[in-house]
Amino acid sequence: MLHLQPHNLLIQKTLTEAIEAVNNGTPLTLDRIVSDFDYTTFHISNSDEEKSTLLLSVKTKAWASVVNCGDLLSYLQSSFTKFNGIEIPSNFENGYNYTLALDLKQLDQESVVQASLLKTMIMSFPFNLSFEEFNKLSSQPAPTTEYELNNINNNAPVFKIEYRDDENIFIKPSFDRITVIFETIFQDETDKILGKVFLQEFVDARKRNRGIQSAPQVLFSHEPPLELRNLSEYSNYTDISSSKRFITFVLFPRHFANDELKFKSVVQLTLFRSYFHYHIKCSKAYLHSRMRYRVDTFVKVLNRAKVDEEEDSKDADSEQHVRRTITGRKVVY
Amino acid sequence: MSQSLRPYLTAVRYSLEAALTLSNFSSQEVERHNRPEVEVSNSSAELLLQPMHISRNENEQVLIETSVNSIRVNIMVKQSDEIEQILVHKFTRFLEQRAEAFYILRRTPIKGYSISFLITNKHTESMKTDKLVDFIIEFMEEVDKEISEMKLFLNARARFVAEAYLGEFVY
Amino acid sequence: MSDWRRIDIDAYDPESGRLNREDLIPSYPNQITLQDLQPTISQLRSFANSGDINSAIQLATSDVPYNTDEQTKLQYVYAVLEVLVQVRQADVINIIKGLNSQQQDSLAKFLYKGMSMPEGQKNGGILLSWFEKLTQVAGVTPIVHYLSDRRTV
Repeated sequence: MLHLQPHNLLIQKTLTEAIEAVNNGTPLTLDRIVSDFDYTTFHISNSDEEKSTLLLSVKTKAWASVVNCGDLLSYLQSSFTKFNGIEIPSNFENGYNYTLALDLKQLDQESVVQASLLKTMIMSFPFNLSFEEFNKLSSQPAPTTEYELNNINNNAPVFKIEYRDDENIFIKPSFDRITVIFETIFQDETDKILGKVFLQEFVDARKRNRGIQSAPQVLFSHEPPLELRNLSEYSNYTDISSSKRFITFVLFPRHFANDELKFKSVVQLTLFRSYFHYHIKCSKAYLHSRMRYRVDTFVKVLNRAKVDEEEDSKDADSEQHVRRTITGRKVVY
Repeated sequence: MSQSLRPYLTAVRYSLEAALTLSNFSSQEVERHNRPEVEVSNSSAELLLQPMHISRNENEQVLIETSVNSIRVNIMVKQSDEIEQILVHKFTRFLEQRAEAFYILRRTPIKGYSISFLITNKHTESMKTDKLVDFIIEFMEEVDKEISEMKLFLNARARFVAEAYLGEFVY
Repeated sequence: MSDWRRIDIDAYDPESGRLNREDLIPSYPNQITLQDLQPTISQLRSFANSGDINSAIQLATSDVPYNTDEQTKLQYVYAVLEVLVQVRQADVINIIKGLNSQQQDSLAKFLYKGMSMPEGQKNGGILLSWFEKLTQVAGVTPIVHYLSDRRTV
């Protein structure tokens, strides 16, 4: 499995099961907690009033920061209600950020997929705002002077998704590009070094492989990129020694030319951290199995050195002419 | 085998062959004890022989400490960058955790070295000395090979992963 | 004193019969100083400069200064190392063949000593090729002698 999928497989599976059960006339009673990356939990439960209606609630760390970006609720409402069987209840489940009410009788395959994309949809909101902002900026005449350029860059909003404790995503639209910046921290010393190898390859990949020249440019730095310098928390960032790194993706208009491309790009970007960490873990697992194999071969070589005890005792036998029982045991006098 | 590796391994082989003439020797200090004298510091200097340093360069060295009934072979594995450092550390740790399978492996290396072996007269009595030497030599060869292969693999995987990810943006 | 059980009482007992490193150094009737050795060292340098490695090695290994302090020994080893690293690969085997067995033993001492110092480790390759040729000519003998010889360079 090379790529991670944006939709939550467990939700998809649960919903498919539930639909089948309803169609068979034996609705399931569900109360399931499903986890996802980045401190996200889903809760799937039956509605109190109607057995064939499921409530899918989500709680995610990113929620608070995404709500701050703009009118998230109406964005989600408009994204989900266009699908069959998905309703937005008037109040959300206690302890969760957002809830979808799913009518199992009307739910079709497409709606199931959409429902399982709930977390991605929440994360995509700031990206969509940036696309809008980009459209606004790019429709104005392109800046001709340094001053105008700076003016645009300084005034453009920066959207921030706080999706983990110390790691954030920043999205900054401009008139000709959108910059997406990931912060990353490694807890483990080994991960830090492996991560460096991987990140370096992300930076170099586009230069090396002609086939992916049109992919977004990737930059990697120890200090905050210029795009973030206007933010209060980074205006005088001097903590070079910290293990925080910044990975910048520069999206050009070709990466979000239409809705389908927009969605694909956003999905890839929201999964970036998970993808990257997932592959570090995979590499470690592979190295481990490799070392295991190597240990075995070393032991084999070392065992060649051992004097064969069986052989020794045979020599001793022939000298003293030991008598044996029929089962091969030695007769001891 | 590279040109400078062969003399290095030859030197280690000859030194080990000379050093692996161990005899049973009971402790002079404690009655009914029989301990590897090379591990017991500050007593009985007459039981220790001259230590042998064999170095290919600053980063690849072997120190063979010798005594009447035991020798300690300390190997410094080449670590030219951060990644190799971490790989060597992980690999030697992995081996040391399985030290009981290796009989002669020391659980912690001597300071300044990556991995240490302790060979006592018990080992030379139950194993063929020349095969033990073969093992150390093969170990030294394979460790270098393994580390560089792991490093290559890591880079290759990182490259593949990065290209696959960015490839998703190409329409 | 909570760890009194761990005190090594034998170390305080002069009668314990325990030997330490100093006891093992062979005693010499006379000690030579750096001044006494200076002519040999400069002779070595001049041989090395004129490219006559064979004579230099002959000289270096024939009368090794054992009866002196560590500092002086070190000066001597530096001088010998300078000679050793200047040799042409092709000459090594013939130079070693020209040494008698005592000289070969001394050469082994210099090689091990050289490889234990950062100055020699930089030129590990060339010292190892000396070592390889030495073992080709003399086998394991000089190494066994090195192990048990208390006269160090």
